[in-house]
This record gives sequence, structure tokens and C-alpha cells, in this order.
Amino acid sequence: MVRKFCLALAVAASALAISASAWADITILVPSGSEGDGLRAAAADYAKMKNTKVETVQAPYANVFEQGANAGATKSGVFDIILMDDPWIPFFAENGHLEDLTSYFKGAGVEGPDNDFLSKSLAICRNPYNSGPYVCLPYVGNAQMFFYDAAKFKEAGVESPKTWDDVLKAAKTLTEQGGGRYFGYVFRGGQGNPVVADFMPIFWSHGADMFNADRTKVTIDTPEGAAAMKVFMALRDVSPKGVESYNANEVGTALAAGTAASSINWPNWVATFEDPSQSKMVGKISYSPIPAGTKPGSSEIGHWTMGIMAASKNKQEAFDFMMWATTAEQIKISAERGNPPVRTSVFTDAELTKQEQFRHYPVLMEAIQASTPRPRHPKWPEIENAFGIELSKAVAGTISPEEALKNSQAAVEQITGLK
Amino acid sequence: MLKSDKGTMPKSLRPGGGLEHWTERHLRYLMLAPTVLILLALTIFPSVYMFYAAVHRISPNPDLPWEFVGIGNFARLLTDAQFHVALRNTAVFTIAAVTLEFLLGLGLALLLDRFIRRLGFLKTMLMIPMMLPPIAVAITWKLIYEPQFGVLNEIMFLLGLPVQAWAGDVNLAMFSIIVADVWQWTPFIFLLMLAGLASLPVEPYEAAALDGASSWRQFWDLTLPFLKPVIAIALLLRVMDALRLFDLVFILTGGGPADRTKVLSLYIYQVAYRFADPGYAAAMSLFVLFVTIVLSTWFMKRMRLAE
Repeated sequence: MVRKFCLALAVAASALAISASAWADITILVPSGSEGDGLRAAAADYAKMKNTKVETVQAPYANVFEQGANAGATKSGVFDIILMDDPWIPFFAENGHLEDLTSYFKGAGVEGPDNDFLSKSLAICRNPYNSGPYVCLPYVGNAQMFFYDAAKFKEAGVESPKTWDDVLKAAKTLTEQGGGRYFGYVFRGGQGNPVVADFMPIFWSHGADMFNADRTKVTIDTPEGAAAMKVFMALRDVSPKGVESYNANEVGTALAAGTAASSINWPNWVATFEDPSQSKMVGKISYSPIPAGTKPGSSEIGHWTMGIMAASKNKQEAFDFMMWATTAEQIKISAERGNPPVRTSVFTDAELTKQEQFRHYPVLMEAIQASTPRPRHPKWPEIENAFGIELSKAVAGTISPEEALKNSQAAVEQITGLK
Repeated sequence: MLKSDKGTMPKSLRPGGGLEHWTERHLRYLMLAPTVLILLALTIFPSVYMFYAAVHRISPNPDLPWEFVGIGNFARLLTDAQFHVALRNTAVFTIAAVTLEFLLGLGLALLLDRFIRRLGFLKTMLMIPMMLPPIAVAITWKLIYEPQFGVLNEIMFLLGLPVQAWAGDVNLAMFSIIVADVWQWTPFIFLLMLAGLASLPVEPYEAAALDGASSWRQFWDLTLPFLKPVIAIALLLRVMDALRLFDLVFILTGGGPADRTKVLSLYIYQVAYRFADPGYAAAMSLFVLFVTIVLSTWFMKRMRLAE
């Protein structure tokens, strides 16, 4: 009798464990950090308001991609919504992991997202870029900005850096004066995503791009690419030793600790720089759009966007949540929680912009509107890895900048099958 | 009475018959079944599945069928430059780290053998690194190596020595990882050697001393041969573990700079999860499995020969 009871109990427990995820009405996969925290808080508000159950699964950056890709490949339906970094969109969309939102908009009686969203924020949510159907909605309006210590730059003879030449001039002076303890520039030189993210704005601002306009040819090893690489190497020479392994944390810390005068960085670092408990540079860091090279400066856009997984069993509920979470009211709440907005009305909201912590909003909005997406290719993670290896070698000095461009061209051609 | 009842009752209701009887007869199989099923589900099935995946090209698009490529994924191993880099780095790491760990572990055990028996807390202290989770060790060393704020460069600066980029320096990155691994795993070798030394017979040493054999002679002709089985086990375990290195590299360098610390486990992870190519990742995993089996078999044979 006892044995039978134990058996029944075990079977029941297993059944409950298997169906536990089905208890949630919506399950959302989000990254660790402020972006995921913000959406998790919004999900809790929504659950309370609608008296429903919204589960959020939070994972480190790389694991969000992996878990999303696994869920998509196995059609598990374990996640209803995924909060994606925008360069992942082609991979998820072109492999059939994301739901086309067109019919859901029609069902809601609208053609698509409203005009209050920034045009660049909406463009990345369409696949192909800016022309295809919507496969997601923008939630966090990240785009790189140029961060610099205005007082130090002034001391070095540059009032406000408009070009990479200005940056180099000031950074060289400051590094020379720094005696190995202070540097004019710092960047993410870590192999892979970090070094690529900090190179691309310089690449674009010199008129270079990874592919030609119709994505039929790889165009890394070009005179424009060489010009960009020359500036990048010059910036390396005025950066701290060990920059080859730097990621966002090291760069952010160097600026917050006042040991480096400038860098390209993401807007979520503003909160750290303006927090006296974490920064020696409160009120001293200035923000500007990416400096120009031979062409106008352009940031790398890095929006976090919400898409519905194609295998979701709660698609309408997921869409309803996404529409609610991206209303102007909710985006403002998200901004107050530390996430840059994606709507003009929030960027220009006087209640926010009068606060010190949001003083970078006009610059950020300008940076988003002047931004460029990372090359939209379903094999972007592999492309980024290959390009990142060659850039890392150039930064470390194991190959020449020319070799890095040549090798990158060959590697990306091999991955994409393009010439 | 009983006899006549048995004749008229259905078989399943008879005492000692039917379901109860069957259960009693097969109880041992029933008790073993969950374990066997779990074993099948967790080891046999994934292994077979990995073989199956290794001979297919698997698209991340679930609507596309798996394409049979035969030995295609294995042939890629011959031409994949990144795989060759990872293979070379793994070999360099394994040889350097395990050699250092062995020499230091054995040396420490010989030095502290008698001393440590009186100071048990020292043994406990030495065990701490290997008891820490690898991820905690990696983060600790990341902070130590941090070029601008790390304690190592602070010491270098105070001593008037040039500061280094450590894990960020193309020439020091692999060395930095090896040092962190040696710090964590030397105690493991040390403990095994210590246990080996404690079990050595006394008589041969007494006889050798009477014959006037020097300490070095005793070590070379007695200690080392006696310790051979323990050494073989220690090296085998460490080599197998070193071939799977992941955490330290993932946290400290991410495989860089300039690919100098990219090891096989990291590359397999990237191919499987970042590049969404599980078929090729399975082929590489099988290669690592093959190398591990060949090495283990060779070690075992050597050990048996020694006995």
C-alpha cells in the first residue's frame, strides 16, 4: 500500500513539474542587467493589473541568445516573448523563430506601431531592415554615445570633440601627461563582440561598411576600411595597457574612476557615472554623438526589442503585453527604471529632461537617429566572431592592420559565401 | 478447503498468484528499472544522438530537415584553422599546467609530508582552492589580473616594476590562465601524493639507509616506483580535466587576445550555441572524446605495465 502511494506521489510530482511552465499565461526570456530588470518589473505590474501570471526567465546576455535559439529550433514554446538584442533579429526571423506581427496589428485595428516611436527604432524591428514586416517592438533605446571629460579635453586644447582627429589630438596629449596612470582614450578591445562594437562606429564614420548595399559583396578590405583601421590603431596607442581584454565593465570603470578621459559607450552607463557611490566623475562626464571621420559619425544601434516566439501557445496574450509595455506611459516608467526610451514623447518629456540623470537624452536621441545597425545577416554571430578575432590580433599587434582587414574579408566571404 | 478454493478462484486473485506473484518474481528488475532508464536517458541516448548529429548538417530552422553529410563534419576538422588554433592551445595548456601541478604537488608533498601530519589545519588551508567553484576562481583571478586596479599590478607598481596586461597581453594570456589553474589544482595532486607517501612501507627505506643510500637515491629507487600508480591516477585525472578547460578561459579572456587562449571546449561551445551549428560541434566533441579515450587507455596500459 505504502509502495503504491509513493509511486502515485512520484508520478503526480513529475506531472506537476513538467506542466509547471504551463501555469504562466506568458513567459518572457530577458537578459540580466537593467534591460531585463526593467521588463521584469513591467511584467510584474502587468500581472497585477490584469490578474494574470507573467513569468520572466532572466539569463546572462549570451545565454539569452542560446536559450532563444534552442527554444526556436526545438519549437518548444517554452518562451512566449524574447527580449532580443537587435543584431539577433535576422537570425531569429530568418530561421522562423519569430512571429510576423502584421496580423496582430490588424487585429488591434492599427497598421503598425505609432509615429511616436523613433524611426530608427522601428526600422530595426522590420526584417529585412526597414522594409519587411514587423517581427518585434522596440523596448530599450540603446545607441552608442561618445563620453568624455570636458575639462580634461579643454586642458588638452580641444573644446568639444567633433571629429576623430580632435579625439586623437586630446587623447595623445592626456596619455603623454598621464605617466602610465591616466589615459586619453579607452575602448573595448576584448576579442569578439567587444572589439567589433567599438570599431564599427569608426569604420562607418570613414565611409566603410561590411557589405555593399544589396548585401551581395563583402567590402571590409577597402581604402575606407584602411583609413578607419589607421585611426583605430592610433587610438589603441593612447589607450591603457591591456585594453586587448577590456569589455564594457573595464571601460566604464576606467571612466567612472577618472583614469581615462574618453570612450565610446552605451547609455546605461550614464546612471553609473552620475551615481556618487560608484563614480568619482559625477557631473563631469559630457556626452556627444559619435565623432565624424571622413563621413558623419554614426553610432552602433543596440536596441533591446520584444518579439513573439513562433512556437508560443499564447501569441495574442504576448502581443497584448508587448503593446501595453511599449505605450508611452510604460516607456516613461521604463526610462525612470534606467532604460533609455524609444519614443520621442519620452525623450522630450520635460519632467524627465530637467533631471540631471536624463541630461544626455537630447544627445542620445540624436545618436539613435544617426545610428547604423550592425550588418543584418542571419550569420552575424559567426561573422562578428571572425571579424573580432582579426581585430583583436591587430589590437594585440600580432598581425598588421592591413593583414587584419585582408583576413577579415576572407573570413566573412567564407562564412557568407559572398565574394 | 483451501485446495478447492484455489481451483475455483480466478488466477489473479489466488494467494501467491497473478499480479502480486508477478511483482514478487520481478521485484529486482522493477527496483533497477528507474536507474537503468535514467542511465539510458542521460548517457546512452545522448551519446547515440551525438553520433547521429555529427554526421548531419543541422539548420537552426526547425522546418528544414537534417542533411546527411557522412564524414563531412569530421573532414572539416582538417581544414578549420580555428579548430587547429584551439587544438594547439589546448595541448599547450594541458602539458604546461599538468606538468607544473605535478612537479609542485609532488614537491610540496615530499617537503611537507612529516610536517603536515602535525599541522592538520595547513592541509585544510591547502585544500581550499580546489574546493572553490571554478567560476569563483576565475572571477578572483580576473580581479587579481585586472591591469588598472588589480592587486598584481599594484604590487608591480609599488616594487617599481613595469605593470603588465596579464590576461590581456598576447604573450602572457595563456601563462595567466595556467597560473590560475595551477593555483587551483596543485593541492589536488599534493593531496594524492601525500596519501601515497603515507602508505609507503617503512622497511625498504630502513634497509636502504643501512646500505648507505642517499636521500636522492631513496627517492629515485624507492619513492618514485612505489608512487607510480598514484602518479598515474593523478596525471590521468588532471589531463582529462585539463582537456575540458572552459570556465577560466570563458571568464578571463574569452579566448583572446588574438585567439591565444581559445581552447577546444570554448570553441565547441561557440560553434554549438553562438553559431548554431550543432552537427559540427558534435563532431568536434567526438574528436575530444576520442583523444581522451586514447590517452586514458595509454595511461592505463602504462600503469598496468608498471605493476
